[in-house]
Amino acid sequence: MAEDLNWAIGGEAGDGIDSTGKIFAQALSRAGRHVFTSKDFASRIRGGYTAYKIRTSVEQVQSVVDRLDILVALTQRTIDENLDELHEGSAIIYDGERSWDAEIPDEMTAVDVPLKSLAEEAGGAIMRNIVALGAACKITGFDVEYLDEALEKRFGGKGSKIVENNKEAARAGQEYVEENYDLSHLGYDVETTDNDYVLLNGNEAVGMGALAAGCRFYAGYPITPATSIMEYLTGRIEDYGGHVVQAEDELSAINMALGAARGGARSMTATSGAGIDLMTETFGLVAQSETPLVIADVQRSGPSTGMPTKQEQGDLNMALYGGHGEVPRFVVAPTSITECFWKTVEAFNLAEKYQTPVFLVSDLAMSVTEQTFPPEAFDMDEVEIDRGKLVDEDEADEWLDAQGHFRAHAVTEDGVSPRAIPGTTDAAHMSTGLEHDELGRRTEEEDERVQQVDKRNRKVETAREQEDWDYREFGDPDADNLVISWGSNEGALVEALDYLEADGIDVRVISVPYIFPRPDLTEEIEAADETIVVECNANGQFADVIEHDVLTRVKRINKYTGVRFKADELADDITEKLTEEVPA
Amino acid sequence: MSSDVRFTDFKSDKQPTWCPGCGDFGTMNGMMKALANTGNDPDNTFVVAGIGCSGKIGTYMHSYALHGVHGRALPVGTGVKMARPDVEVMVAGGDGDGYSIGAGHFVHAVRRNVDMTYVVMDNRIYGLTKGQASPTSRSDFETSTTPEGPKQPPVNPLALALASGASFIAQSFSSDAMRHAEIVEKAIEHDGFGFVNVFSPCVTFNDVDTYDYFRDSLVDLQEDEDHDPHDYEAAKEVILDSEKEYQGVMYQDENSVPYHEKHGVTEDMSEIPDGAPEDAMDLVREFY
Ligand SMILES: Cc1ncc(C[n+]2csc(CCOP(=O)(O)OP(=O)(O)O)c2C)c(N)n1
Ligand code: SF4
Repeated sequence: MAEDLNWAIGGEAGDGIDSTGKIFAQALSRAGRHVFTSKDFASRIRGGYTAYKIRTSVEQVQSVVDRLDILVALTQRTIDENLDELHEGSAIIYDGERSWDAEIPDEMTAVDVPLKSLAEEAGGAIMRNIVALGAACKITGFDVEYLDEALEKRFGGKGSKIVENNKEAARAGQEYVEENYDLSHLGYDVETTDNDYVLLNGNEAVGMGALAAGCRFYAGYPITPATSIMEYLTGRIEDYGGHVVQAEDELSAINMALGAARGGARSMTATSGAGIDLMTETFGLVAQSETPLVIADVQRSGPSTGMPTKQEQGDLNMALYGGHGEVPRFVVAPTSITECFWKTVEAFNLAEKYQTPVFLVSDLAMSVTEQTFPPEAFDMDEVEIDRGKLVDEDEADEWLDAQGHFRAHAVTEDGVSPRAIPGTTDAAHMSTGLEHDELGRRTEEEDERVQQVDKRNRKVETAREQEDWDYREFGDPDADNLVISWGSNEGALVEALDYLEADGIDVRVISVPYIFPRPDLTEEIEAADETIVVECNANGQFADVIEHDVLTRVKRINKYTGVRFKADELADDITEKLTEEVPA
Repeated sequence: MSSDVRFTDFKSDKQPTWCPGCGDFGTMNGMMKALANTGNDPDNTFVVAGIGCSGKIGTYMHSYALHGVHGRALPVGTGVKMARPDVEVMVAGGDGDGYSIGAGHFVHAVRRNVDMTYVVMDNRIYGLTKGQASPTSRSDFETSTTPEGPKQPPVNPLALALASGASFIAQSFSSDAMRHAEIVEKAIEHDGFGFVNVFSPCVTFNDVDTYDYFRDSLVDLQEDEDHDPHDYEAAKEVILDSEKEYQGVMYQDENSVPYHEKHGVTEDMSEIPDGAPEDAMDLVREFY
């Protein structure tokens, strides 16, 4: 297991917790260390406890653990909230000059640094978090120069004066600790490497995937935690001739995206929670009119407004079954941040190849977590674009009926019709949410209805055959114990394998990025003695579909506290489940 | 585009199922004429239709078209135009479609000033669902769901557009064929969001707002030499006039700059590279 360091800063929302954490994460990444971050935040802008946690190691880290080594506490609550993660070797940096009397358990090392005064000396109280970062560098033996790089990146745009003041603040923190404390007994000495890493979160990976895949139009309506996809695309998509519109609501957003797709653009929208419900109306139209569209659902905790800043994987049934009538669709769910990139690219290809809506289902934990990767993990040369049966003028000619009308919804063997976009000569046609004939014109003829329904459903059958609906696998492929997961649980599960192995428990992990169609796991489940499905919801929605597929009961591990799985916790849960009787 | 396009080229060979005498026939003919007269042809035209008797228009016209869900035609048109500034976009729907379920979208489409033409077939009733009150129904208009009338004043769509910052506001009457086509033509030619509310009588369910009523009461702004559509105050006056109803162009902002020009959305978004763009690795490097 990686020798890692766990660091956190916590305070009131509005204290700049997020940006401070991000700066430190970046500094660590610059120093060739792997980073995995997590955030606790409340659904309010000012006030309310908020924390940014960083786990860092020279080896790849992909989960949170129950341990905190260095804590920057701007409030007493920060200490209280994290008490059970602190241990004897923990150091707590706090500002003794502040009005609160910090209560720090005796066995821990209290590092009282006058954050505010030192920041003021360096040019402004606002930099007190940076003073704390400098102090943290000293405690951990981390070279403050890496912090300089991160500060340049962060504040470079605001002028050299600001950058210099911040560097000075960091040095002040570092020197204060050096002069007033001897912390060698803590034994921290952070190793660095020459590796170059990139540090990004799941939503950024989705946005980057969209740009790489040729997405040129995005319409959305702000909602946590999907908004940062829109924020990422805004300001970047223009470089490629594209555009982002903040629509008046989700109904409008998805309809705009649909319009752009009919115009021939690769087009996308993203939302969460209530927004996905609003989009469901048009979701049917997208399918019925056979429009290629990527709809991202970054799940948060529901129902209704639920816990908007908390983790959950509760929308799977919605993605699978949402919408009136029977709607052919694809549901793709990335299992890691790199997969957020690759599956987004794939979602655009699937949408155009099969002329269907594609749900790209991710979750809050993945969307806000920053993680380091070698840049090659996003190798742009590997990106392939497949626009499917997009026809030009000559090809369109082959699809005209005897009267010269373009058969936009031609009944084909593979279920996919030719697709012509405006400007294609002689291919003008109508598409509609009404049931229609091959030309797109309304029909209620029994034969035509059946033909069109079958045709649309056939796309899914064709895709089942043509595409790889595979899974990712970890652990021991021959183990008797099988654990199945989807979405962002993969990282924690993979790390849990180390704990389980240490206890002599062999586990095979299957992480499934495709919800519909999905890989058939019958063989794998039959080969195992025990099967457990792990997911962040109360009812086991994925477990339900697996049981439905294989006609066997599986065990379930469900977490719906609003917090993602931790590796050590999952290992315990799995151990416990393995001895439990399967419900009859 | 070819100059020999005739308005019949915009006609599909599907026979309308509108009631004989429905105002929508005239509205549609005018739209087709206006499209042809402004030099468009079906291959570069995209018609988005709402839901209702009015929304059936997309079926009876020939062009690239989408018939969507109730009330959401304007966002679809917005998306088409953003992706394809080269395409002529026309959006059509009814008063229920546009001012009830779609009222929010109307306000925002107006203020975005996307370069498209929005034609609302205002029959002051829900036709397709067989005669319920619409947002433009008179407050004492008795229907199956409002036996004593809607008990609330009607929406004034022109005023709603004006308040939302419209750059082009017009009203026409489907049976005054020449004028109607002419007004829609002006809306198409307008650089920005061209809004036309068309009185398009429902002969089956509305016995108040009839052809005769409009014929007798409508005042044509063309005959009012004093009306200058570029004069905002004058526009306000006719739009808020509670005594009379007008046809003609009420308001046109001479300085209107359509959304795509203002915000540099001028590229054909349908063309993308075969793989990731050449400099795409820069996107990754940003995260160093
Ligand atoms: C979401 C939704 N709600 C209700 C309907 C039923 N519906 C169809 S048309 C219509 C009203 C249409 O009225 P209007 O826009 O005035 O058009 P008209 O038929 O009078 O031309 C309604 C309520 C629907 N199709 N979709
Ligand atoms: S019901 Fe009214 S609006 Fe509908 S077709 Fe008949 S006349 Fe026209």
